[in-house]
Amino acid sequence: MIQLLKIELYKIFKRPRTYISFGLITAITFLIQLAMLTDGKGFLGFVMQGINEQFDIQGHILNGYLVTYIILQSLLVQIPLLVALVAGDALAGEANLGTLRLLLTMPISRAKIVLMKFLSSFIYTVLLILWLALVALFLSLLLFGTGDMVNMKSDAFIMILKDDIMWRYFMAFAFAVLAMTTIASLSLFLSAFADNSIGPIMATMGVVVVLTILSNLEIPLFNIIRPYLFTTHMVGWKGFFDDPVPFAAIGRSALVMAFYTIGFLTATIVYFNKKDIKS
Amino acid sequence: MPSSFKILSILFFIVLNSFVVAAKEASELFYTLRTKVLSVKDFTADVKMKIDINNMRIPLLKGTLYFKSPDKMRMERNGGLSILPKKNINLTLGNLIPTGNVMVIDVGYDTLAGKRVHIIKAVPEDELSNIVLTKIWIDETNLLAMRTETTTRNDGTVKMNLEFANYIKYALPDKVTIFLDVKDFKLPKGVTVDYNVNATPDTNAKTGKQKLQKGTIQISYLKYAINTGLGDELFAKGKEE
Repeated sequence: MIQLLKIELYKIFKRPRTYISFGLITAITFLIQLAMLTDGKGFLGFVMQGINEQFDIQGHILNGYLVTYIILQSLLVQIPLLVALVAGDALAGEANLGTLRLLLTMPISRAKIVLMKFLSSFIYTVLLILWLALVALFLSLLLFGTGDMVNMKSDAFIMILKDDIMWRYFMAFAFAVLAMTTIASLSLFLSAFADNSIGPIMATMGVVVVLTILSNLEIPLFNIIRPYLFTTHMVGWKGFFDDPVPFAAIGRSALVMAFYTIGFLTATIVYFNKKDIKS
Repeated sequence: MPSSFKILSILFFIVLNSFVVAAKEASELFYTLRTKVLSVKDFTADVKMKIDINNMRIPLLKGTLYFKSPDKMRMERNGGLSILPKKNINLTLGNLIPTGNVMVIDVGYDTLAGKRVHIIKAVPEDELSNIVLTKIWIDETNLLAMRTETTTRNDGTVKMNLEFANYIKYALPDKVTIFLDVKDFKLPKGVTVDYNVNATPDTNAKTGKQKLQKGTIQISYLKYAINTGLGDELFAKGKEE
């Protein structure tokens, strides 16, 4: 099993395109940090207009913690795509290269193969989020320094003292790993149906975009289904920056995503077990 | 008949005189209090500030508050953020009492926190003053303003409750509770992408109405350093970086 996992990880990390994800995260993060360095005050002025009209806030608002939050918010849409690039290729890529039949000649069950593909995608996801934490959080802290953090919600202003922030980021990144693992499992599931990786990658993004729109559209018709969409719960990391932290809601969101992850993984195993492999 | 007229005249004179005396007493009381309050030219104080406003979640802030008469105020929190209401009037008693010539009206007496207080209204004669009217509840024994209610031209009404213990000599409070109105604010949910699983459409957001929220700011003054000669440059730094 370990040997199989090593092979899967080798396959992922020998491909140059795997590193595109890390490069993209670095580039986007740098761009946002640069934008904040040059025009962060203007951006803050717009976002905090309602507060600034009535309160005089003094101190180092544009600090590393706030910039990291802005980066994470901006990367909401891109990260699922980067996860899908690898997980969507896991089975479909093998089918496209014609190596899937060869892989299945090994004395390992199809379920184990799917599990190893999932586990390797999970490890890639963890590394991607760790890289994001490194370049977004630690580099921002290096460039912008520390300080108390302000968090603007649509109808609330939240201030968090600087000694009370770091644990929230650790929890937020852990939550992001869970959310992206759900995306990885969806992508792997779609990958089982295809013979080339473009289809599952595009399909994953399509599902994420459509469900995200449904999650955010304030139309009563969608209120019934909104709590059941995994995209509604993907922004659960933001809950750690609320006051008080809605632990119960975050726990529910984590459960919903774990349910989806297990569901997609089970469905992938069931389908892949029955699949007639022709390539 | 003439004797009744005499009695009525005397009574009228007594009543009128008592009003004049009362007004004079109230006026003297106001000016004496103002002199005492304005004797503090500047102070530095260790403070704890609790902001309780519905749509703002701010932890208890500890820091140092600097004040220089007549209207300079700044809070410093060892590199942390500080938040003060942005009003033309600041949050010291000296700034809520009208300056210059003032018409003082005696309102009467009441009991506040178990103490008998004299209530007066002070109306500045300067028509350009931001303060339109200040109502003050005064503890005559210690010459302290226990409560103020100031109506301003541009900043609405500011109510303030004051508690004194250690700095009675300077009329500096140990605890102040300020009651103020705060405008509701909204940001598009498309910008903030809030995490709210049970979100329902917000009718106020749709109509664009700004509601007024009641809020309180409670400042506990732990230690004062009074009239140390603070420089103006102290109030120039510390704006948002």
